[in-house]
Amino acid sequence: MINSQTEIKPKSKSIPLTQLTRGQRGRIEYTQAHPEDSSMLRAMGLRPDAPVQMCRMGEPCIVTLTGECGGGCRIGLARDIASRVMVHVDNT
Amino acid sequence: MRLLIELPMSTTPPIASSQRTIAVLGNPNVGKTTLFNRLVGIRAKTSNFPGTTQDARVAHVQFQAEPNIESVLIDLPGIYSLNLEISESKVCSQVLDGKIMPVGESAATPDALLVVLDATNLMRNLSIVGESIGRRLPMIVVVNMIDSARRRGIHVDEKKLSDCLGCPVILCSGKTGEGIDTLVSSLGNAKIPDRSAPTDQLGIERWAQDIYASVSSAPEWVDNDRLTDRLDRAFTHPVLGVASFIAIMTGLFWMIFKLAAYPMDWIDLWFGAAGGWVGNLIPAGPIHDLMVDGVIAGVGGTVIFLPQICLLFFLLALLEGTGYLARAAFVIDRAMRPFGLSGHAFVPLLSSHACAIPGIMAARAIPDKRDRLATILVAPFMSCTARIPVYVLLITILFPDRPSMQAIAFTLCYVLGAGAGLFTSLLFRRTILKGKSRPMALELPSYRIPDLKSVILLTFDRGLVFLKKAGTLILAISIVLWWMGAYPQVGQSDDVITLRAQAASMEQTEEADALNARADLLQTRADAKHSMLGTIGTFAQPIFEPLGYDRQLTVGVLASFAAREVFVSTMAVQIAGTDDVDDDTVLESIANSQRDDGSPVFSKATSWSLLVFYVLASLCLPTLVVTAKEAGGWKWASLQLGWMTFVAYTAAFIVYQLVTMMGA
Repeated sequence: MINSQTEIKPKSKSIPLTQLTRGQRGRIEYTQAHPEDSSMLRAMGLRPDAPVQMCRMGEPCIVTLTGECGGGCRIGLARDIASRVMVHVDNT
Repeated sequence: MRLLIELPMSTTPPIASSQRTIAVLGNPNVGKTTLFNRLVGIRAKTSNFPGTTQDARVAHVQFQAEPNIESVLIDLPGIYSLNLEISESKVCSQVLDGKIMPVGESAATPDALLVVLDATNLMRNLSIVGESIGRRLPMIVVVNMIDSARRRGIHVDEKKLSDCLGCPVILCSGKTGEGIDTLVSSLGNAKIPDRSAPTDQLGIERWAQDIYASVSSAPEWVDNDRLTDRLDRAFTHPVLGVASFIAIMTGLFWMIFKLAAYPMDWIDLWFGAAGGWVGNLIPAGPIHDLMVDGVIAGVGGTVIFLPQICLLFFLLALLEGTGYLARAAFVIDRAMRPFGLSGHAFVPLLSSHACAIPGIMAARAIPDKRDRLATILVAPFMSCTARIPVYVLLITILFPDRPSMQAIAFTLCYVLGAGAGLFTSLLFRRTILKGKSRPMALELPSYRIPDLKSVILLTFDRGLVFLKKAGTLILAISIVLWWMGAYPQVGQSDDVITLRAQAASMEQTEEADALNARADLLQTRADAKHSMLGTIGTFAQPIFEPLGYDRQLTVGVLASFAAREVFVSTMAVQIAGTDDVDDDTVLESIANSQRDDGSPVFSKATSWSLLVFYVLASLCLPTLVVTAKEAGGWKWASLQLGWMTFVAYTAAFIVYQLVTMMGA
């Protein structure tokens, strides 16, 4: 998968979004997709440090934006792009 | 803003002496269109942005609160950011810069900007407010869906938010109407924000986060939306998702056939009666023929499909309103990816089911060039509404009075078109457009009960566009075709003269009438055969002979090149000119039409072959023009025309030969 460890906070464990299990929460670290895709994801709310929760694993991968968003807006991602979104798992 | 010039000497009250342009901006899925409809009702019309493929709904309104001012509201496309490299963002950005306006409006910087936000998703929505503040336009921020937010325990402090942004803020709900009056009365209070916002993305995100923290309070997010989770999992499931997609689409088309049958009958009868009435009113002659056989038969043959077209848009808009279509996009994505089409192609291809032109134009939003080209090339394979009249005619002929079989055949037409599109994409992605498609990311709106008013307004809008087309382009083509079919007229043949002489010498009126009718039929057939259309048809007919088409059908097919639905009106004009339709209504007379040798025009094999041909053929000149423009050259349009004609001809040939061999 993606091996680059740049920009990752030293204490957090970073995994691709696709590896979150159903119901598991995490925070977006960074996205390693096509620059236009990355900008789109960011504008849609998948910006660094945004809290997400996995709703449906696989193809498509569905996550909700939680926390400050207030509403739990849902974003569906093809597995290809979801695997390029790195998150660190929220253990709380 | 244009100033209202006050004339102290004037004694009459001013009427709409000034105009104000208000651009309505916001993220997708924030209820912007519902709010827009709530503000303007049926006064909106859809207009294009010149030089682009985007359109917007525009309404000229004089609100009661401001009788002197005509407000021009422009519902811009929903975008996540003004700075993205996609067509929608660029259009919105250019509108705010005063560089473009929809056709019919003069390009100038808007006098006010309404930024619509979703109260349940405020933080993300604030980013576009931050971007808008930098434009230094008079602004009002509308926090919509406040009713949903309240139900979820989300509180938004209107005053604090207004202080933070430096412009008026109004909480409202487009759905319930809450706050709409306040919004209308505040339109004149839009002001350039006296606060600033960062200009870089990270800065705007932090700015939005800070403002959100100070103006809103929401309970800690709790994952209790089990129903949405379950529905999402079901609708995107590899088996259940596909099964529900097929079931929903079949149900949709079944309803289109079942429910539209009644209004179609009424329209059919009405046009039949109108033809008779006008026929009696105008004395026999060229004007009589032009009105009855050209105008009424031609337009009637197309307008009859208005109920089905309206119903299709109504049901699709209902489905979109429920939130289901976004889930269906992923089902489609999974199915299309192996064929080299991205899930981003879903909207262009779905739009192509209305008309390939907006579909091809929507393909501009597809980020990857090869994905975009592949989508443009396959879009015309999707069954557009212009094909519906032809499908309905042929399916009704093939399965009279069997609605369930009609629904299956209708669905199969769509499946065949989509299948041919996928095959084409697969072929092109392996040859001239090598490479994999870009993955898809899409916001999934909440499941909700659709806003019926918006759905009805959209249907009304689309119906009007279709009627306009029927009243202009199709009317013009009907008249030209009637003229080409009626002239040059040939003199009476010896047979006709003999028959008429026999009739004149008879005493019994019934027999004389029969002879005269026979003479009329011979004469009109001779006229039709030697007319301009007949000559063209006779010349081109051998090309279509292997598909089972006679001279009249060949003329119908060739005339369809201007617009597919013209086929039905062409047939109506031709049949009306060659048969007695006093007792028959339009559809029946076409279905029962005969060839020059007396055999039926629409035999089973011919009807099947024609149906397949219409599903697959590129019979639309405007689509080719748009393809050339959007794909970047006539070579793509030529490829599309050549390939589609080849596929359609081959498939129709095979079908005709097979059905003929089976002895049907």
